[in-house]
Amino acid sequence: MKSLKRFFRRVVNVATRRTQEERLREEIGEHIALQTEENLRAGLSPVEARRQAMLKFGGVEAMKQDYRAERGLVFIENLLGDLRNAGRTISRMPGLAAVIIVSLAIGIGVNTTILSWIQLILLKPVPGVSGASNFLLVEPRSESGGYAGASWLEYRDLQTRVPALRDIVASQMVPFNVGETGQTERTHGQLVSGNYFSALGLQPALGRFIRLEEAERPGTEPVVVISYDYWQTRFRGSPGVVGQKLRVNERDLTVIGVAPKEFQGTMVPLKFELWAPATMAPALLGGTRDLEDRSVRSFSLIGMLKPGATREEAQAELSTTMAQLARDYPEASAGIGGEILPFWDSPRGPQRMLISGLAVLEGVMLLLLLAVCGNTANLMLARGSSRQREVAVRVALGAGRWRIVSLVLSENMLLALLGASLGAALAVWGTTALRVAPMIGAFPIQFQTRIDEFTLAFAILLGVACGLIFSTAPALHLVKLDPQDGLRYGSNTPPRSRARQVLMGVEVGLAMAVLIAAALFLENFRAARQTDPRFRPEGVLLAAYDLSGRHPTEASEREFATRLLERLRSLPDVEAAAIATNVPLDLHGIPARPFTVEGRVRTEAGLDRAISNIATPGYFKVMAIPLLEGNDFADMRDKTAPAEAIVNEEFVRRYLNGSEALGRRIQTRAGSFVVIAVARDSVYDAFGEPPQPAVYFSYRDIPRDQGEIHLRARSGNETALTSEARAVLRGLDPMLPLYDVRTFSQHIDRNLYLRRVPARMFVVLGPLLLGLAAIGIYAVVSYAVARRTREIGVRLAFGATSGRVARQIIRENLGAIAWGTAIGWLLALEISVHAISKGVVNLSVFIGVPAILLGVAALACWIPARRASRIDPLAALRHE
Amino acid sequence: MKQKADVLQGTLALMVLKTLAVLGPLHGYGIARRIEQISGDLLAVNQGTLYPVLLRLEQEGAIASEWGASENNRRARFYRLTRLGRKQLQAETQDWEQTAAIIARFFDAKAEDLS
Repeated sequence: MKSLKRFFRRVVNVATRRTQEERLREEIGEHIALQTEENLRAGLSPVEARRQAMLKFGGVEAMKQDYRAERGLVFIENLLGDLRNAGRTISRMPGLAAVIIVSLAIGIGVNTTILSWIQLILLKPVPGVSGASNFLLVEPRSESGGYAGASWLEYRDLQTRVPALRDIVASQMVPFNVGETGQTERTHGQLVSGNYFSALGLQPALGRFIRLEEAERPGTEPVVVISYDYWQTRFRGSPGVVGQKLRVNERDLTVIGVAPKEFQGTMVPLKFELWAPATMAPALLGGTRDLEDRSVRSFSLIGMLKPGATREEAQAELSTTMAQLARDYPEASAGIGGEILPFWDSPRGPQRMLISGLAVLEGVMLLLLLAVCGNTANLMLARGSSRQREVAVRVALGAGRWRIVSLVLSENMLLALLGASLGAALAVWGTTALRVAPMIGAFPIQFQTRIDEFTLAFAILLGVACGLIFSTAPALHLVKLDPQDGLRYGSNTPPRSRARQVLMGVEVGLAMAVLIAAALFLENFRAARQTDPRFRPEGVLLAAYDLSGRHPTEASEREFATRLLERLRSLPDVEAAAIATNVPLDLHGIPARPFTVEGRVRTEAGLDRAISNIATPGYFKVMAIPLLEGNDFADMRDKTAPAEAIVNEEFVRRYLNGSEALGRRIQTRAGSFVVIAVARDSVYDAFGEPPQPAVYFSYRDIPRDQGEIHLRARSGNETALTSEARAVLRGLDPMLPLYDVRTFSQHIDRNLYLRRVPARMFVVLGPLLLGLAAIGIYAVVSYAVARRTREIGVRLAFGATSGRVARQIIRENLGAIAWGTAIGWLLALEISVHAISKGVVNLSVFIGVPAILLGVAALACWIPARRASRIDPLAALRHE
Repeated sequence: MKQKADVLQGTLALMVLKTLAVLGPLHGYGIARRIEQISGDLLAVNQGTLYPVLLRLEQEGAIASEWGASENNRRARFYRLTRLGRKQLQAETQDWEQTAAIIARFFDAKAEDLS
């Protein structure tokens, strides 16, 4: 209590220091005056009286020190003093300080931004839902390693048969056409299980959520929950929205509630606007078999552990149940197991793409920050050696080691914290930029990144850590300084600092590793983009139509597609036209379907699966996929030909043992198909994928209510076809919208979007890093050269040519740089071989990057070296 | 070395409190004089050391100070004992007497007393 009181007094005293000093001076004066009078009365001479009084009082300065120590907080006072001093020092070197602060700010800003992003995915994977980081994914997994999703009936089974999970919710992403026929608008939503909102622990912003019983049996109340944003934009936030009808896929749904503000669905970063009960699937999706067919695996499941239950228990229960289901329903579930995964570790979909890129990015960015620290340490070290005299004077006057260290520390900390604050500001800007929701084609995406206390603390922590890291070297250096040496005037060249050279080497090495990593990442991305997809996307226009609202029959669907194609083909600029149900390189992949091949004896349990697409005749012409054997599908109006299938080479290899394919029969649930042709393998799900077996069925045999129109333009200018295609569709059915019109290249681009974001960041950061390294080298060399002006002058005076001097300086510094480069190179090679390209070394990167780096380094050495070698020897010798 | 200084400071503080308790409000010089008169040479050399002690006592709240006029009508800082200081003096006097008594007994003790 007493000490606390004293502490407060002291804090107050620190603030009121000036008046306190005044008071002490006055008291001392008074004391000595009184003592002098006393002495005078005792008969001493005035001079002697005063002298005796002073003697008796004792050392005034020592006493003042004691007094100050007693009065205030020495530590804080010293710190304030140091900070003032640091402020002065920094303002005397604005250029250097700016370089340090800006480079730190970039390093810290970038790291903080990425952290906020990672934090979003790891800690708040579902915006608006607290505790979502504890959610688990329940993923059915086929024996071949694919994650197929769960069927509705499977979900219903799992709900009761995995007791370790408190709740399992199911959701399926679906596109909706909202609005009256003819003026519909594409909106994305989720079909959800009845416990969806309650299990997520959400509270409606308005109205209510879907009730459990509303997703029990098909055909119950047609209801829909809308997102907050949708409410605000479409209904202007009107409270009367509850109870209104919303026309969705030609059905009237009643709006029953509004989701909370931040909630955007459970497939982040995709942003959904509508949620309807899963049991509405047949009504909304034109008679899909989602609810009764176990092989239609269209749902994603999220589970939450019961209190006290462990993930292992849940996994064990899931495995047992899935094995049981596989026995009970071999046709749909054979060979399908189950896996419980942490929510962030999604094995498929948009999350997967994002997280892998981000992890690499964050690692690289931390290295970048380390390089920035090395750079700064080096600059400070260079500066530190030029202030040896100042420090020597301080030491000679009695400054202790800790005072010197705290001097250096406070200066660097001030720089570091300035950098961190600027970095935090950058991060705020960066996260705001990320929040702006881009549309990836038809898919709305939103990252709800933000800077909160956690990320802010991270930025400051990084700043402090950086400050400590780059203070260590200069502080150690100065502490070891012998004041005698330091005070002796710079007659001798200062001992060449090994530390500086080593640091420079380390920094360049780090830059090297980061640059190579960045280059590899970009190269991989570019290579992926440029890989031959083995079909020709150029010149192809894609557009989708959807008849599901019309409750069509098979015959009307076939008729519609046939007439649509006839009209499209009659357009002068259309070289070929086709309709298919799936487009390769789609964000969500192409479904794989089970089948049996006649005459094939399977050795393993379960069914064969292949990627399956349904296409009209002409598809292979549009896609420019050659048919290696056989001919295209029979005409759409042909009523006599048997049901046909076309398989790809990999299919033949894997399922037909490479034997004659034509004439073989494939059995699926839809019937029996005869193989009439073999198509060349092409890319289906992703660039660089291993060859996948695929089977194409004819649209004639399996008509569908939805289709992707593929048009190849004769002129190569596919965008020009858009309006004509619209006109054709309008001619057939004036009320039917053509949606999602895009060129095939756009289609590919938007599906690469999530990979492209990190790639873009690398493009910006690579040159930045190179610039940093160059500045670091430049600063070190020019300081070193400035310190050796006299030596250089002497050598020039003795007849050395300026070229020779410059060469020597460059050689000395490049030595250290070469060491660093070599180590960084080896490091990058190690990472590359083991982590990135799995044994393949990208020669152009591993030779090109060091060449560029060494070139820049040589330039950064050459400029100061040249300047030094041009000096007048006489002026140099006079230089102190 | 440090310990000795602490003892001195401790005792000095006690002397200051006692002086103020006996003589009432006094300025620094007056306190120094009084301690000098009684203790002999403790403050003969370093009267200045008194001031940090005064400051500490003031920060602890044992004494308070205000400006006043000295004998020769100049401005001087007068210190007086506070209630807290009076209590502290009492407590410390007791402590001191106890300690002194124990130490004294130790010094008086002869070898045969311990056997």
